[in-house]
Amino acid sequence: MSDKLPVIEDQPEICRSVDAGERSVWTRVMNRFADHCRARSLFVLHYCTGCGAIELPPTITSRFDMERVGVSPMVTPRQADILLITGYLSIKTLKRVILSYEQMQSPKYVIGFGSCTINGGMYWNSYATVKRLDQYIPADLFIAGCMPRPEAVQQVLLKLMEDIDAGKANGWQDYYNNYDRYLGNQQALFGESWHTPTDVIAEAKHYGYLADGTMGRHTDLLLKRADYALDRVPEDYPERGKNERRLP
Amino acid sequence: MRPENYRPVKHPPSHEYELYFGPNHPGIEGNYAIRVRLKGDVIIEAIADGGYLHRGFEKIMEERLWIQNVALVPRICVPDPVPMEETYSRAVEMIGGLEVPVRAQWIRVMLLEMSRICAHLFTFGGNAATIGLYTNMFWGVTMRDYFLDLFEEVTGARIYHMFITPGGVRRDLPEGFLGRLGNLLDELERRMPEFEDLFFESAVVINRASGIGIISQEQALSWGVTGPNLRACDLPIDLRRDDPYLVYPELEFDVVTVEGGDALARMMARRGEVIQSIRILRQIIARLPSIGGAIRSPLPNPLAWNLPVGEAYARTESSKGETAFYIVSDGGPRPYRVHVRGPSSMHAVQVLEKLLIGARIEDIAQIMFSLDACPPEVDR
Repeated sequence: MSDKLPVIEDQPEICRSVDAGERSVWTRVMNRFADHCRARSLFVLHYCTGCGAIELPPTITSRFDMERVGVSPMVTPRQADILLITGYLSIKTLKRVILSYEQMQSPKYVIGFGSCTINGGMYWNSYATVKRLDQYIPADLFIAGCMPRPEAVQQVLLKLMEDIDAGKANGWQDYYNNYDRYLGNQQALFGESWHTPTDVIAEAKHYGYLADGTMGRHTDLLLKRADYALDRVPEDYPERGKNERRLP
Repeated sequence: MRPENYRPVKHPPSHEYELYFGPNHPGIEGNYAIRVRLKGDVIIEAIADGGYLHRGFEKIMEERLWIQNVALVPRICVPDPVPMEETYSRAVEMIGGLEVPVRAQWIRVMLLEMSRICAHLFTFGGNAATIGLYTNMFWGVTMRDYFLDLFEEVTGARIYHMFITPGGVRRDLPEGFLGRLGNLLDELERRMPEFEDLFFESAVVINRASGIGIISQEQALSWGVTGPNLRACDLPIDLRRDDPYLVYPELEFDVVTVEGGDALARMMARRGEVIQSIRILRQIIARLPSIGGAIRSPLPNPLAWNLPVGEAYARTESSKGETAFYIVSDGGPRPYRVHVRGPSSMHAVQVLEKLLIGARIEDIAQIMFSLDACPPEVDR
């Protein structure tokens, strides 16, 4: 990938800009209160990404009963708070996981389940699996072991609730702040034409988490792709014709 | 006037549409997807889309030592891992010419049958949940959990035991274990009438499950259906009886067959198998204390263990069907080639695609769960 990608100016304002008042003391107090409430009502996305999902039914059902601590499964990513990555991720699954993660509403939390999400675990030399989860999406907590027991799952949920209450589970902000790095890793795995339907940069602007690492040479590829699709290619665009709606 | 190169574009009729069922869907078993074409709510075409759980087992196993692969094989099928360990170990024993002590054989059969009960209880629960009977799911999973406690007592792990090694088993049974197993079997037998009230004789289940996903006997044989799904087509084929391994010839049990071949018949076949497994376990509890001796034949240093040149095909009747390993050794410390024959890759791909045609959309989950396919084993 070359470093000399053209910088595209005049991006349209898709979302409103953040008011100064939104970062006031009042907002911070309200956020603190909202965190306190959020920690008490969490929904886990019902997505069995790997073999760790075998320990979720015992955790949910009557023997260990996750609902005692206020955690319940949820079928759709748009209403879920926690994405539980249960075990190893093949490359095909990782695409769906990223799509699901970006569909979830902020604030959202990711828990890596088992040693496969930490360093590849048992499949450290497999050609098909992803070795480190936190290169691709930010993970708040990990559970070690293969397979973690239901007690460990409960323990990590309680720890996550503590962290949320204390305002420390901020992986989702890291995704906005360093989106370029995450996207670069994703592009290294899936190819340069990798893109998702979610406009993460616009979301970052909306939530007020636009940082230096949000946009960079990897996100420029996304913008360029969008420009091709909208026929907004500048005249002096290098080496490719205007009508070619494909990334160079 | 139309131009000479005019080719009309064929659009599908507007009342047909395509739907992606899974992988992020509560009705699908594990991480698996099916692309269905629908006309109203009737399926006219279904294409299985697997590969989400592919780890490349056959390749990874070539790069590990013979003894290291013992830790790898139970990961192939997550709900029912013991048959995988047993089949791999038996294939290695066939190549290496190892004798398994009698006591180890009895312990292995005990673990195999416990694992079968676990997998079937899990399937009852899952199948009930697909038609909205969540009570049964809670009960089935909890009952399975008590068996997992016993597994933990023997092997030290709930799910992946890695207990059966080439040449025997790793440890002997703990003190008083057989008594606790007997108590649990009593408890399961006491609860079976409750399961029947709630599930097998429930009007909801009978109305929803009968006549869904019918497999005829000819279809079952030509599609490669094995296990309880085959016996639900009234075909008495069971490897434990037809190609006996370990100490199964010394045990009394019936091959459960059910007529019908539909989703209800498959569930009833599993219910019968749980009862037969309880019967087998009772015989083991009665006879195991009188069988002494070693639990493992002596192995050379496992880190420098070269098996002789040869190949072996070992097969086991697991709760899903016929599980088999084909292993080739070139005389080195690692397998030269391993092939895994998983029953679910037939059930979840070719059988499921054909059974879904003509079914309604609300029956997809039920048909998939009634086949008891195991997605990690499909993709491997």
